[in-house]
Amino acid sequence: MEARTRDYLEGRFGDYYRRAQIPLPPAAERREWGYIPWSAGGTTMVRHQSLLDVGDLGDFLTRTAPRHVYFSSARFTDPGAGTMDEKGWQSADLVFDLDADHLPGVDPETTSYADMLDACKDDLLKLLDVLDDDFAFEETQVVFSGGRGYHVHVRDESVRGLDSEARREVVDYVRAIDLDVEGLVGTESNRGTTRRVLRRHGGWGKRVHDRLLELAENLREMEDADALDRLQELQGIGEGRAKTILGQVHNNFDAIREGNVEAGGPGTRILVDALAREAVAEETAPIDEPVTTDTKRLIRLPGSLHGGSSLRVRTLERDEIEAFDPLSDAVASRFRGRDIAVRVTDPGPVEFDGDSFTLSAGDQSVEECLGVFLMARGRAEKVKE
Amino acid sequence: MDPHHARYPFFDGARAAVGEADISPPALIAEDAPAVERGLERVERALMEGTVAPEEPRRWSDREELLSYPIARILVSLVDTPAAVDKYAAAEAATAHERFSADFQTDDDGLQSTSSPTVSLDRVLREFDLSGAVRPERTDPTDRRRGGRDPTHYWVGVGAYLTLASADWGERWRLVNRELATGAVRVTNDELHRLLEEAVRRRVADGLPFEVRGNSAGDEIAEALDDEVESLRNLLNDHDVAGRTDVDAVVPGLFPPCMKALLQRAQSGESLPAHSEFSLVSFLVAFGMDATEVATLLGADGDDADRIETRVTYLADAEGSQFAPPSCASMQSYGDCVNRDERCETISHPLSYYTSAVRDAGEVRDWREAVGE
Repeated sequence: MEARTRDYLEGRFGDYYRRAQIPLPPAAERREWGYIPWSAGGTTMVRHQSLLDVGDLGDFLTRTAPRHVYFSSARFTDPGAGTMDEKGWQSADLVFDLDADHLPGVDPETTSYADMLDACKDDLLKLLDVLDDDFAFEETQVVFSGGRGYHVHVRDESVRGLDSEARREVVDYVRAIDLDVEGLVGTESNRGTTRRVLRRHGGWGKRVHDRLLELAENLREMEDADALDRLQELQGIGEGRAKTILGQVHNNFDAIREGNVEAGGPGTRILVDALAREAVAEETAPIDEPVTTDTKRLIRLPGSLHGGSSLRVRTLERDEIEAFDPLSDAVASRFRGRDIAVRVTDPGPVEFDGDSFTLSAGDQSVEECLGVFLMARGRAEKVKE
Repeated sequence: MDPHHARYPFFDGARAAVGEADISPPALIAEDAPAVERGLERVERALMEGTVAPEEPRRWSDREELLSYPIARILVSLVDTPAAVDKYAAAEAATAHERFSADFQTDDDGLQSTSSPTVSLDRVLREFDLSGAVRPERTDPTDRRRGGRDPTHYWVGVGAYLTLASADWGERWRLVNRELATGAVRVTNDELHRLLEEAVRRRVADGLPFEVRGNSAGDEIAEALDDEVESLRNLLNDHDVAGRTDVDAVVPGLFPPCMKALLQRAQSGESLPAHSEFSLVSFLVAFGMDATEVATLLGADGDDADRIETRVTYLADAEGSQFAPPSCASMQSYGDCVNRDERCETISHPLSYYTSAVRDAGEVRDWREAVGE
């Protein structure tokens, strides 16, 4: 990045912050703050700052116009102290990070930025399902990171004190790591007899049971021949087992509803395994483990600008998520409505602000929001107007 | 005084009761009161046998029981090794577990089978600030047979669950393998008691060891307890020796009669009393059997296997030192010393019996090799 470009972005980030109203996170005075200035080549973080050091946040951001701004997930007794020991850790928000760089099946080399963000949003919705239904967290904040993904901050008091190890348990749950599929079936005693049932009162057992019920409902509606075909699509289920299972679906639906896996014969067990694999493949979210298990992490500040994209780090209400398009909805309006001159150094396809087009190399005039986006991403440099 | 405090001396109220007692721990120590002897027994049995229950319960009054707890904490602090603190806290917790499990049972039946007053589950939950985090599973109101009985399952808030449970307790305790719904984890009655045991362990371990010396009053206490601390230190050293054996082959045919009897009872599906299971498992762990091998030998599966696995993990702690299995004297006091034979006359510890039996037998065949075939 050339000096002229850096100065330009720094100046315009400052202009953005002059007008922006950036809300403080809860207990802001007990958190550590950090930032990366434009001048430092974009890598050196100034950290161990307390709000006392920073002063009024709005003033500070306008004055410093940093490239990146962070605050700690943790609350400390003395956040400005230079070492972790002296800071006095009190608690930490539980933070989840979905990053398009780490999505399974998505190659960042060949996938467009827009497509990566789309894939990431699907995973965000899966993550929120698990956090809402299973964990029932109440104080959550969903944030577009301004870069390649999403953050979810959980601030329920009941989990703020958890150590790294306990947080790893949460990660493993969300990702179904080390899930004991055989253990999804347990024994239950009822009126003096024991039987083998899906552990369906919650967790992955319930997710599998939901799928089992849905499949059984569908099979009930089908012609027998189709239903048998459907069952035999599953690995390990031949005609005989399919017939036993289907008989169960027709004659003893209650047993399935109660999670009884004995009644349908050995085929039911195989069915459960197959549905468990399906549930894990479709309902886990590939959250980044080190972010969640780190109890002292610095996280990007909602409302700030991401220096690698110029997009706003944006808090999303739940009903906004479905329709949210980061490449237009996170564009700072400060940068709209006027054109600037840039030299495109990395031409090629671009998707931005609801549009998709091919950039040619060389000097040209573009709308400022596109200009700062390209410069922040290293695809253009500022030239004299 | 509140008799609960004698049995649960780590309750907050008990601490207050000690403060209000007409005599302070330093004064007790100065006059070598019975509570000091009982405090020493508390720590001794914790280190050697994983329990703090008195060998002769009738010897001690409620007051002595209560006052022995702060004495025990002073002793553990003076011994001042991580192993001593860990084992002491674990033993206080294990004993509390046995006591409140029995109490809840009595509560449940509505029968006061013992003269000692019982605590209710609600009382214990309140003590550890868990009332809001634990709720019983609503049982089917149409099922009359369970009417009025305690529920078989509880739901524990996920924050409290993750705070107390540890992944080290076994796969079953991993959150990923639990039924988690609307912010709570489903646990059985027994599992809830295990979580409460952990809450006790943390409460007891909190603040241990503390600095006793450093002022004239503290120095005086330390000096007065010199002999006791010395004997506990020796115990720890001895017990590291006793906990080890040169024999690493598993030959059940050569086990001492007491262990053979316990093993047969376990293998026939009998659920052994906690102290007996502790004796047997600590014996097996002493010559290097791991959790799976112990569970296989005992023929345990499902929940039993999990419980045994937990026990083995607890017995073989991170520092590699282990709880020694009980001596012959302890086995006798438990009523588990049975079928004595000639070799028993020559030894005072079941491990010595086994070591000498294996030595005399010459070439032996390890049970684990037989299993593998």
